[in-house]
Amino acid sequence: MSANYKLTELMVVRCAKEITDGEVVFAGVGLPLVVVGFAMVTHAPNMILFTEGGSIRATAPAGLAITVDDPALFANGDATFGMLATMAALQRGEVDVAFIGGAQIDKYGNINSTGVGDWTKSDSFTYFAGSGGANDMATSGKRVLAIMPQDPKKFVEKVDYLTTPGYLDGPGSREKLGMIGGGPSCVVSTMGVYRFDENKEMMLVEYFPGQSVEKVKANCSFDLKVAPDVKETVPPTEDELVILRNIDPTGFYLG
Amino acid sequence: MAVSDKRMTLKEAVSKFINDGDTVYYGGFQIHVPMALTHEIIRQKKKNLHIINASTDVGGLDLLVAAGCVSEMHLAWAMNWYVKAPYAIRRAFQSGELQRFDLSNFGATSALIAGFLGIPFIPVRGNIGTDMIKHNQHDAKVIDDPFTGEKITVVRAWRADVAIIHAQRVDTLGNVVTWGTRGVTDEFGTMGTKRGVIVTAEEVVEPEMVRSDPDRTLVPYFKTLAVVHCPWGAHPSACRGYYGLDIRFCQYQGKYERNKDLLPHFMNEWIHGCEDHAAYINKYIQKFGQEGLDRLKPVLGFKPKMDIDYGYHDPGVWKGVPQYTDEHIKA
Repeated sequence: MSANYKLTELMVVRCAKEITDGEVVFAGVGLPLVVVGFAMVTHAPNMILFTEGGSIRATAPAGLAITVDDPALFANGDATFGMLATMAALQRGEVDVAFIGGAQIDKYGNINSTGVGDWTKSDSFTYFAGSGGANDMATSGKRVLAIMPQDPKKFVEKVDYLTTPGYLDGPGSREKLGMIGGGPSCVVSTMGVYRFDENKEMMLVEYFPGQSVEKVKANCSFDLKVAPDVKETVPPTEDELVILRNIDPTGFYLG
Repeated sequence: MAVSDKRMTLKEAVSKFINDGDTVYYGGFQIHVPMALTHEIIRQKKKNLHIINASTDVGGLDLLVAAGCVSEMHLAWAMNWYVKAPYAIRRAFQSGELQRFDLSNFGATSALIAGFLGIPFIPVRGNIGTDMIKHNQHDAKVIDDPFTGEKITVVRAWRADVAIIHAQRVDTLGNVVTWGTRGVTDEFGTMGTKRGVIVTAEEVVEPEMVRSDPDRTLVPYFKTLAVVHCPWGAHPSACRGYYGLDIRFCQYQGKYERNKDLLPHFMNEWIHGCEDHAAYINKYIQKFGQEGLDRLKPVLGFKPKMDIDYGYHDPGVWKGVPQYTDEHIKA
């Protein structure tokens, strides 16, 4: 990529466009914290930010929030609860966007953040951190936005461990289990942007500059559907990059 | 429990109140991780602890597992985020030394809330439809809602024998004071304990200070077993209003966590080689300079702008005041 921006910057700016002004966004740890900070100082000044640490705030944090209970989230916040209050709002169905990361995803948007290998044969299983709040967010948020790396071991036919529900086995699965949230709406990977079709399967809608449908498909282990109007993602503008770099000046998350 | 002065050293608190085989609530989340207590448990070589917690960062639990103190953990998320992995936990699970029981964050929090409430189990959205339910039937099951017939997850109550937490302040009796986080899940993990709470704090204050502002009390004295004055007790995690997250130290520690042959060097230098937490901080200054600690100073100037008064009304004023009445009541 000869462009004047980093891949993470492209991902963050593209992700932010999925947030509509005025929405309640529950952000997990990592790049989502940068995305919400960016959205709040650009097109979504009325967004409400929730985190697992219990922060509820209507204004962008003064500095970069590195963690979900980062002091930067609580300074001049609107409420500093613990985990209970923000997670309870999820369970009441009051969160518009559940914004998570993950390590592995399948065609129905089921996500693994627990580990790879066979859990039942513990010597073959490599643990990651575990669910954290991702499962809760994706079960009950009205829609799910996920940001994650892509390669053939990460975009797989079946996740090694189903931590966080997407559409499970396809249409109707979530409803059968009484899940109140609507399921995945958009996935932004290191290669492109995906939505879900009427069969609840992932569908490529945009590929990043420098990528192509073929390259994206080569980095996906399931038979990837491609939208008929698939297009190249619009790169971030100079103004957007200036604002973004000001949020994470040391490149802790942006690299 | 008696109203008494509960101040003691870190060493006394751990040796007196943590037994091999105990279920321990591990406090904090990405901040307020009880690191000084973690190190002392390692020094005293406690065994077979069962850890309950929602999420825990900065690798404190990874060190505890590496030291062979933990045989079970029930939680949602554990790692050292600054090296992006829970290395010792991973190795201990693979070798079979550690059993792991996974739930989601709110599954774990709900289990702690059920313990806090003194009830046997509690429904929670989430976990249903996943491998957590499949592999952790010990803590979670799916049942039919007895009222609507819909499927719902229930989680068993988690009640620790003892909780270990770090807070900004505590009084001599054990009233624990926090602000700017409400301890994430600490209020449930502590209150649900069967025996009580060991707290390390940046400052120990007189009870009259806490009683002048009781809204900030997270744990009331009757649940507290031990009060330990321990500045920097959450390092390298942050303590709100006292110091920020020490990212460089987390990364440094993480490089040791990653390699099981290197890790003993870290344990010897920073834990076994330090008599107490003050010695650990002195070692830090010796090795990374006072400027290393100074770099962690928080941006201050966020004092409450509302001046409040907890005034009360004396019902004695009603003495001799006749009943209020009017024409309708008389009729």
